[in-house]
Amino acid sequence: MTPVVDLQGVSRVYRLGAVEVWALREVWLRIYPGEFVAIMGPSGSGKSTLLNLIGCLDRPTAGTYLLEGEDTSRLTDDALSEVRNRKVGFVFQTFNLLPRLTALQNVELPLLYAGVPRSQRRRRAAELLARVGLADRMHHRPRELSGGQQQRVAVARALVNDPAIVLADEPTGNLDSRSGEEVLALFQELNDSGATIALVTHDPEVAEHARRMVGLRDGRLVRDEPVPRPRRAREVLGRMAGAKG
Amino acid sequence: MGTGVPKKRFRDFWGGLAVGLGEAFLVALEALRANPLRSVLTTLGVVIGVAAVIALVSVGQAARSRVVGEFANLGPDLLWVLPGKAEQGQQFATQEGRFTLTYSDAQAIQREARAVSGVAPWLQTSIEVAGGGRREVTTVIGTTPEYLQVRALQLELGRFLSEADQQRRKRVVVLGPVLARQLFRTPDLALGGRVVINGRAFEVVGVLQPEGQVLGVDLDDRAYIPFSTAQLLFAVNYASLLFVKAQDTASVLRAKREVERVLRREHGEEDFTVLTQSQFLGALDAILRVLTVALSSIAAISLLVGGIGIMNIMLVSVTERTREIGIRKAVGAKRGDILTQFLMEAVAISLVGGVLGMGVGLAASWAISGRLLNQPFTAVAALPVVVLAFSFSVLVGVVFGVYPAWRAARLDPIEALRYE
Repeated sequence: MTPVVDLQGVSRVYRLGAVEVWALREVWLRIYPGEFVAIMGPSGSGKSTLLNLIGCLDRPTAGTYLLEGEDTSRLTDDALSEVRNRKVGFVFQTFNLLPRLTALQNVELPLLYAGVPRSQRRRRAAELLARVGLADRMHHRPRELSGGQQQRVAVARALVNDPAIVLADEPTGNLDSRSGEEVLALFQELNDSGATIALVTHDPEVAEHARRMVGLRDGRLVRDEPVPRPRRAREVLGRMAGAKG
Repeated sequence: MGTGVPKKRFRDFWGGLAVGLGEAFLVALEALRANPLRSVLTTLGVVIGVAAVIALVSVGQAARSRVVGEFANLGPDLLWVLPGKAEQGQQFATQEGRFTLTYSDAQAIQREARAVSGVAPWLQTSIEVAGGGRREVTTVIGTTPEYLQVRALQLELGRFLSEADQQRRKRVVVLGPVLARQLFRTPDLALGGRVVINGRAFEVVGVLQPEGQVLGVDLDDRAYIPFSTAQLLFAVNYASLLFVKAQDTASVLRAKREVERVLRREHGEEDFTVLTQSQFLGALDAILRVLTVALSSIAAISLLVGGIGIMNIMLVSVTERTREIGIRKAVGAKRGDILTQFLMEAVAISLVGGVLGMGVGLAASWAISGRLLNQPFTAVAALPVVVLAFSFSVLVGVVFGVYPAWRAARLDPIEALRYE
């Protein structure tokens, strides 16, 4: 089986004047279709850099990165944009929705850049908003939605082009425990249906929702092991509801 | 997980491009609507520039039409003989040698120039004229009987100056209709009345029909007395200028040559200028054109300033929306997409400004042409200017929008996403 993500000795170096900063050092990592991977590490360990590289927002300074078997180093900037559009879906800690657009228009955005005609765009975006449970909030603007709802819109946007992998950078960081758990429940549902997900977090409890954990320290991959018994978000939510009563 | 939405085919490209640009334009208008005050202020420079260019050029054209129209009324077969030699390139005589044209010059031309049908010398002064219990400062002109035919004037009442008046230096006067009304209330009352010019009494023997205005000069507010009387009255022995009428329009140039030949011989030197109507018009046209271009250039500067304003605001806008640009790039916007988006906004601003400026400019042209110049405003004449000004406004949007749009497109997505 071709891995979705195949990082071969990938490094990322920043040159600040005379100083070199190695954000990532020779990382070898493979993610296969259907996996749910949590990328953990302390602050400055290079987690976000790794995620950006996987998502083709950035290029490695050394090493090779194959996305769905394709060598990304050969791709032009425009081609990388297309890759981000079609193969990758980002979910950010701060949601990153466009404030002047409605939820529907936000979810449509990747389809717009893919050149999909308007009626098709609308339909697909509406489908996805329904999938994440926000069909009744389609025409609301982000400021009219709660944090959890905004993040779900972001997830819908990430999924709208049917990507090869969903990349989430601290998706629950700006959410309260309940909303956070709901978003994690959503991720688990998607993964159960076959979606490939890579999630960056510093929170071990969040990481335990995934099926595989990789650890970074000072830019190196130092740990890579399966999660023996992943936390089921639905159960956690159940307990939260029970505790309230 | 699949391969994603299928790529667009090439044959859909151009159709898609048109739709894309149209949509992009609408999106741009939406973005402008988000901050209406800022958008309006930004378009102001373009509005003023376009309005000014349209108004100035239209008014210039109207002025020209009016002048040409007025001149055409005077007759295309008319020649002016002025004292003093005009410099090369100058169409109007200098002030030197003001006293060289005489009555005998007029007679010589009348005798010898075959292509000429009539000559009338002209002596002009501005003086107080009293009559009918009133006084007016007006133009008094000394001329000969030929003047009536040379200028193709019509009499309302009475007669024009006669050869006998000229021979005997009679104190008779023919009034223009406006002066006649100013002094005597009606032309009937003026006829036979008494008028005092420079302390001497004159009898009114005729009143002319109206001629109208030329270049703001009222041709009907004047009095005509015999040339010899005028010379005596004002103690001079020269003519201000000579009016010459050619046999017909076709002989104008031949008449000019003949007049020049006669005068050269009479004077012994070339101390005069003979001007045809077309030369006059040419000179006026040239002046008007230079004026129009100069004024329009100043107006065009306003357009430039407007463009700089657009660039300024777009740069601010790009900075404010850095995060947004990062997000768009993260979901797959190419540099070209971002460039187009922001360029479209700049073009939208300048286009809206152009349309508004057109409205204001046309309204101003209509008002100025109609009211001030008494010239009906022809939209047809204005059309090329409108198209030009409009195209310029779009161009301004593109030229001044490119730099901010390029800056936006070049942003690094990761940096942009971090922007607060």
